[in-house]
Amino acid sequence: MTPFFSNKRLIILLVCMIILVGLIGYSMSDRRDLSWPEQFVQDTVGWVQSAFSGPSHIAAGFFESVSDMRNLYEENQVLKSHLDEYATIQVEVNELRRRNDELEGAIDLKEDYDLMDYTVRSALVIQRSPDRWNEQVGINKGAQNGIEENMAVITSEGLIGKIDQVSQFSSTIQLLSDQDILNRISATVDADEAVQGFIEGIDPETGYLQFTKINIDVELENGQTVVTSGLGGVFPRNLQIGEIVDYEYDEFGLTQTAYVEPSADFYQLDYVMVVERSADKLEEDIDPDAEGFGESENEDNADSEESNNESGDEDS
Amino acid sequence: MMIRVSLFLVLFFLFIVEGTVYQIFAPNAGEFDYQVIPRWMFMLILFAGIFRGRANGLFYAVIFGVIYDIVYSSTLGIYTFGMGVIVYLLSISIPFFKRNLSMTIIIVIVGVGLLEYYVYGMMILLGLTEMSNDEFLSVRFLPTLLMNLIVLAVVAYPLRIGFLYLEKRLGELND
Repeated sequence: MTPFFSNKRLIILLVCMIILVGLIGYSMSDRRDLSWPEQFVQDTVGWVQSAFSGPSHIAAGFFESVSDMRNLYEENQVLKSHLDEYATIQVEVNELRRRNDELEGAIDLKEDYDLMDYTVRSALVIQRSPDRWNEQVGINKGAQNGIEENMAVITSEGLIGKIDQVSQFSSTIQLLSDQDILNRISATVDADEAVQGFIEGIDPETGYLQFTKINIDVELENGQTVVTSGLGGVFPRNLQIGEIVDYEYDEFGLTQTAYVEPSADFYQLDYVMVVERSADKLEEDIDPDAEGFGESENEDNADSEESNNESGDEDS
Repeated sequence: MMIRVSLFLVLFFLFIVEGTVYQIFAPNAGEFDYQVIPRWMFMLILFAGIFRGRANGLFYAVIFGVIYDIVYSSTLGIYTFGMGVIVYLLSISIPFFKRNLSMTIIIVIVGVGLLEYYVYGMMILLGLTEMSNDEFLSVRFLPTLLMNLIVLAVVAYPLRIGFLYLEKRLGELND
């Protein structure tokens, strides 16, 4: 009887393992754009997926609306009571907007876009990764529709995530609940004083988002609204994330961590909106090493002199 | 012509359904404590490995592994390698298994378990999850096996008839 692993098979297995490690290394490197074979496969599959997910969304929506009909009357009463408030708020908003325009006009701010301004593109959710190791969903709009990496994605209820990978006709959203270490969003609390921090993943047991790196002197309150800060690159300001339900000091006692109940539902997604900020993006090629600031001040060797000369040349 | 690509089309159909239709009707993680992962496509590939031979199974495993990696997974190579190796090892295409349906079911479910554990191991290795082993077993591994076993038990008999029919038709084509 021949041994189960002959030499030839063993070598093939080893080669396969080397390829596996290589592929993993390739795909784990950050800031990677999709290569064209990946884009081709993703777009082709995405096209078929749109054909499947459209009808099933409709079917799911039908069952949902049947169950909705039961509490329709109560909901209508609540909404009617809100409608009265709406009129007064509308007057106030108009008044504030007019005054804001006047003041901005007075100091010549007119030309700049605000961090709060944005435009949206709606897209249909066509897939969700079936092995729940990553929280990613796919949409049927891609680079050809003007989608770019890291754009914010919202539903009518609030922020759900950001664009992770862009293909030509489809793209992938990384939800806020994804456990990836790089899944981090700059956020702020809607309060009188500025409270900055980061939304970093979800606590799997409670289902609350972790709002970390908050200044220790800040006094938080339960029920405060957390919104995006717009400081982190391509996100606009004031996209709603959720409400604070709990807070505590972090493990080292240097900052505070708050737990945020997300206002959007990360499941049962059908249509989502991809947000494009009107204000300019951060420049991508800002590289602190390139201009040699740190080195030239601290070190006195030949390299730093060279970089000094270079930066001097650029300045002149 | 249709009969030659029929297996491929069914596999592709299952692949699409796992990511779209199933996800829309699947229980939410928020309300439902267990994660139930459909592995229907993989089970059919294992079936193909047993009934149509090792080379055939390996071919489908690698093709669909690559597509699965690109579309559903953020890391390339994990499913291609895992599905390839598991299908290669478990494609024991002898008459005893073909005739004995319960043996086929056991082998296929063992394959699903192996794949699930292998992917969990890779995710731990790459630092993409912090799930503990106990939690993985109770929350994910057993419910997934149970659901797939139920589906498999329902479709195994019709599937075998289908594969025998496929074999007969392909044999006629080749004559």
